[in-house]
Amino acid sequence: MSEFATTIERLCEASKRDYINPYSSLEWPETLDPEQWFTSPELISLSGSEAYDRLPEPVRKRLSFYEAVNFFSLNIHGEKYLVEGLARRLYARRPGGSESDELTRYFHHFLDEENKHMVYFGGFCMRYAGKIYPDKKMAFPREYEEGEEDFLFFAKIMIFEEIADAFNVRMARDGRLVPLARRINSLHHRDEARHLAFGRRMVKELFTRYSEKWSAGTLEGVREYAGNYLKATWREYYNPEVYRDAGLDSPYEIHSAALADPTGCERRRRISEPCVRYLLENEILVEEPLL
Amino acid sequence: MKTEAEIKHALREWIARASGKIDARNLSDETPIVEQRIISSLQVMDLILFLERLSARPVEVDRLKPGVFRDINSIYSGFFHSGSETE
Repeated sequence: MSEFATTIERLCEASKRDYINPYSSLEWPETLDPEQWFTSPELISLSGSEAYDRLPEPVRKRLSFYEAVNFFSLNIHGEKYLVEGLARRLYARRPGGSESDELTRYFHHFLDEENKHMVYFGGFCMRYAGKIYPDKKMAFPREYEEGEEDFLFFAKIMIFEEIADAFNVRMARDGRLVPLARRINSLHHRDEARHLAFGRRMVKELFTRYSEKWSAGTLEGVREYAGNYLKATWREYYNPEVYRDAGLDSPYEIHSAALADPTGCERRRRISEPCVRYLLENEILVEEPLL
Repeated sequence: MKTEAEIKHALREWIARASGKIDARNLSDETPIVEQRIISSLQVMDLILFLERLSARPVEVDRLKPGVFRDINSIYSGFFHSGSETE
C-alpha cells in the first residue's frame, strides 16, 4: 500500500470514530438578539478601515451577523461544488492503482461530512436571515489536458477550505461570539482538519503525477489560475449585499474601498500564508499572489 | 440615465483594466472576451458586481443565459437593453 493510500485509510478510520449526528449536535434558539457578535470583530471584512472605525458598536454587531451569514453562504456554495465534484468521482477508475479503492471509501466520508456542514450553515442562514447570499461565481466549459481538471478541482477545494478553516479556528475559540456561532465554527473545523490533510496530499499527488506531462502553456495557466482563484476566493468575503443589509450607505463604494484598504490586504496575506507557503513549496505557485 | 454609448464605454474601460491584456481602444463591441480569454471565469464575479453598480439592480446569476458575457454587445443586451434599468 502506498504512503498516500495509508494516509487515506487513516483518515477513513478517523471519520468513523468522529461520526456525528448534525441534527442533535446543535440547539437552535427560536430567535437571536442581533446586537451580539457573530463574527470576530477582527475578521469582519471592513475591520481596520476608516468606514468601520466610524460605525457605532451596535452597527458593527449587526454587520458581524450579516458577515456570518455571508461566510456560511460561501461555505454552502463551496460545499455544493465539492459534493457535485466528489459524487462524479465516486468509483471512477484512476491511474495509480492501490489508492483508487481507498479514495472512493474516503469520498463517501467526505460527502457525508460536507452534507452535514450544509445542514449547520443552511440552518443558521435560513432560520435567522431567511436567505443564503447567492453565488456569483461562474465557470465556462473548456478542454483540459490529462489530469488538469482533477488537479484544479482539488486545488480549488484546498484553497477554499484552508481560508475558511482559518476563520473557523479563530471564531471557535472567540468567547465574545454568540455560542451558536462558535459551535458551528467548531463543528466545521472538527471535520475540516481531516479534509485539509487530505486536500494537501491529494493536490500534491495530482500535481506531481501530471504536471510534467502538461505543456508549458497549460502549466503556466494552472499556476495563474491557482493564484487568481485565491484572490477571487478572498473577494467573496467582501459582499456589498452584506453592507446594504447591515444598513450601510453606498455599499459598492465601501466594497471597493475595503478591498484596497492596507489593513485588509495584510489580513488576507496573513491568513493565507500557510496555504500560499504550501503551494510555493510544492511549486504549484512560483510567486506569492498579491492579495 | 446613461446612454448606450456611455454604458458600452464604461464596460470597455472596465474590461481593459481588469484584463490587463488589451487596450480599451482595441476592444470592439464584438470582440469575444471569454473565447479569447481577455476575461477569465474568475473575473466574471467582479464584472457582475460592476454591472450591478452600473445598472443599480442585483444580478441573479442563476437566471443568466449562456453567452451573456460573450462580448460587449451581449452584455449590453443582457443587462441594459430594456431601457429603464440604468440611472
